[in-house]
Amino acid sequence: MPPEESPSPQNQHCFQRRGFSYDRAIKYFFASNAGLTIVILLLIIVFLLKEGLGFFPGYRRELEIYRIAGLEFVDISRRNLTAHEQLSSVLNRAYFAEINGQCARELKRTREASAVFNSFSDQTSATRDLIVNNQNSGLDPNSEMLAALRKNHAIQKEKALTSLPATPHLTAAEREQLLASIRTRDATATDDPPLVTTLAQQYAAAQQQCAKPLAELRTVIDSFEAAGADLSTLVTEMTDAVTSTKEALQNADLLEQNRKSLLAAAANAKDPTERRKLLADAHASLAEKPDIEGPMRALMRRQPDCSATHTALRHACADILARLPPSLSQSDANRLLRAANKATPLLLDSLGQAPQQITQWRHDKPVPLSDAIRSFLTGKDWVTGGAWQDFYGILPLLIGSLMISFVALCLAIPAGVGAAIYINQFASPTEQSVVKPVIEFIAAIPSVVLGFIGILIFGTVLRDLSQLDALAWVPGFPIEERLNMFTAGCLLALMSIPTIFSLAEDALNNVPSAYAEASDALGASRIQTSFRVIIPAAFSGILAAVLLGLGRVIGETMVVLLVAGNRIKIPDFSAGLGSFFQPSHTLTGIIAQELGEVPLGSVHYRALFVVGILLFGIVLGINVTAHKFVSRTPN
Amino acid sequence: MVTDLSDNPAAPMATAIHIRDLCFAYHTKPALHDVTLDIPTRQITAFIGPSGCGKSTLLRCFNRINDRIPGAHLTAGSIHIHGIEINRPDIDLQELRRRVGMVFQKYNPFKKSIYENVVFSPRLGGIRKRAALDELAETALRSAALWDEVKDRLHTSALALSGGQQQRLCIARAIANQPDILLMDEPCAALDPTATLKIEELLHQLKKHYTIVIVTHNMAQATRCADLTAFMYLGKLIESGPTLQIFTTPNNPQTLAYISGSFG
Repeated sequence: MPPEESPSPQNQHCFQRRGFSYDRAIKYFFASNAGLTIVILLLIIVFLLKEGLGFFPGYRRELEIYRIAGLEFVDISRRNLTAHEQLSSVLNRAYFAEINGQCARELKRTREASAVFNSFSDQTSATRDLIVNNQNSGLDPNSEMLAALRKNHAIQKEKALTSLPATPHLTAAEREQLLASIRTRDATATDDPPLVTTLAQQYAAAQQQCAKPLAELRTVIDSFEAAGADLSTLVTEMTDAVTSTKEALQNADLLEQNRKSLLAAAANAKDPTERRKLLADAHASLAEKPDIEGPMRALMRRQPDCSATHTALRHACADILARLPPSLSQSDANRLLRAANKATPLLLDSLGQAPQQITQWRHDKPVPLSDAIRSFLTGKDWVTGGAWQDFYGILPLLIGSLMISFVALCLAIPAGVGAAIYINQFASPTEQSVVKPVIEFIAAIPSVVLGFIGILIFGTVLRDLSQLDALAWVPGFPIEERLNMFTAGCLLALMSIPTIFSLAEDALNNVPSAYAEASDALGASRIQTSFRVIIPAAFSGILAAVLLGLGRVIGETMVVLLVAGNRIKIPDFSAGLGSFFQPSHTLTGIIAQELGEVPLGSVHYRALFVVGILLFGIVLGINVTAHKFVSRTPN
Repeated sequence: MVTDLSDNPAAPMATAIHIRDLCFAYHTKPALHDVTLDIPTRQITAFIGPSGCGKSTLLRCFNRINDRIPGAHLTAGSIHIHGIEINRPDIDLQELRRRVGMVFQKYNPFKKSIYENVVFSPRLGGIRKRAALDELAETALRSAALWDEVKDRLHTSALALSGGQQQRLCIARAIANQPDILLMDEPCAALDPTATLKIEELLHQLKKHYTIVIVTHNMAQATRCADLTAFMYLGKLIESGPTLQIFTTPNNPQTLAYISGSFG
């Protein structure tokens, strides 16, 4: 007889485990919680990759259409045309800067007089409007009510006269004259005070006067502008042709997609009649192959014409630009002239190469997938939803993110690490108990609140400060845009200070007290102990704190969306340090701004997912590095 | 020229540390009561006693490292080192600690190279010349009997050394300051017997040049190393005298009870 397989009552021992215990239930509950977070993280990665990786084939097809429809060909000319237009705009700005600089005194005088008058008008507008409105509605000019209104107006006038802006460029007599004309001014008068008119006339006359010696420059600029006309016409003509080819190709693609999904539905359909209907639909949706050869031949016929126009433009530009004056008298104008002189060889070079590019261009050159990847990673344009062609190049966004983070770290590292060192090493217990909670409280401010503080207060104050003559030496001042990378960087610094402070303080705290004791026993002073023993020992921890702060900064969205200015353009680095005062867009900001508006599943939508993947990778990399440093701290 | 007093017991012994009626407290809790003791120069003096008897507190009074502990303060009495009261307010603590070196129970080299550990205090003292620092480092490491073991890897991390080597490095680091007095707070407590033996041999070398005060739990160590022994109990100095006398014919019954192992 074989022995029983199942445990018999005799086999049971007194330590036998029975059933499902309470302890194990608790253990599994917590294990499932921990497991869930890992599963969610994996799901996020899978989802990001699934949505994102479809981008590259889609983008490749868009670039292919860009080429076979001939848009790429037209872009050779368009780029040169744009460069030409930009250069003429710079020259025009230089011209007007020169004139305005020379008439600066007249300009200031007329502005000051107008400012006085405008301020007066604003302050008295309430009572004045009452008088004017009542008179217009046919009130008796001698009535008591009107008299009362006039009295009020007089009071307000007197009050306003005491609080008018300063006029440093007007003589005392002129100011007196202006105030007198304002004081005696009738409520219903609509003309400007005589001094304001006179000064405006003086300014206009001065402008004309200044323009006379610059007539030569004016002619140069005008003829430069006119030289681009031929190319402009050519580009306009070609644009219409290639755009329609592109649309035809895109429609064909859409129909093809539609047909495929209908066929797939038909294959899955169970009901035979429905299947037949779907198949019929699919057949109807079979796209006619759009004619690309015809338009392309037409386009290619323009090749010689195009080359000739470029060559002609190049000669014209070279001749015209050689007649530019070597320098101008005003510093602003001179700066613009230098910029123009710098841009000139680039334009001439580009125009010179154009004929070769035009003849070498082939519409049937294949577009490999690597082109799409390269165009994404190194593309200088992020252009979406345009009528011409969408480009998804992340360089402007990446540079924006990096520059903003750089500003933020430059400010947050000294502040955060410095505060941590002070609090940990030198502060009294009272100071510690005040400063630590305050710094940690900053982390509790919602970033959107920080964002509008940044716009309303910080941005405005900074711009107003930058207008001061005393600060004109700062690179980039005066700031043109209120919302710029520097403002965003300052706010991000504020947001990352708590992170950096807390982690750096922890790192300092983790240095064994034996180090400080040994250093003390060796006769080191307090400062020597801190700077030669404690801080070096905590260095890797402090570095980790900084890296985690950087992770926070790069991933932050709301503040940069609100404050960075959102201009998708690689900053103009010729401004040196001043380039930090230009607006920019960021990797995070672009996702937040555009994801809500893109059609689901479009190439644009997928492009944003790839940006997300990139961002995820960057932050993950930073965190992993930081983790490595943390594990190196002694304890 | 250093006179070797230890080889000549008949010579009159100069006093390095002169303690009179010392009372010490942590906040309101007294730790030392009326301790009066003279510690002779260039001898090894051992403090023995059960845990919490105040021997470490007393040792840590000599370089005022107790000041690091909030609430620790002297309530009465005086300590004179080279005739100077070290609890005066005008004492330069850094100078005092340079003259009175200390080695801790748990070896605590900095997370720097061996070389940087040794030249730490000379650097603080303002010595910048590489050659001078090199010479100081070699002298200190030789005095601590560590030179031969580490001379080829001076610029590697001190934390890679063995425990005994790290402790000798700490001794070298203290010696590099050229102190007069070396305080040792249970220097062998965290070491194995071999490393302990090396340190004890080192102590015999060092006492030719330094006054050494050592706190130990290990009575055998006291008998092996110390010239003088002081027995402390409950914050009081019970008995002190030549080691041989304390361990063979103690005057006080408590001392006898402790050294014979009845308690502690």
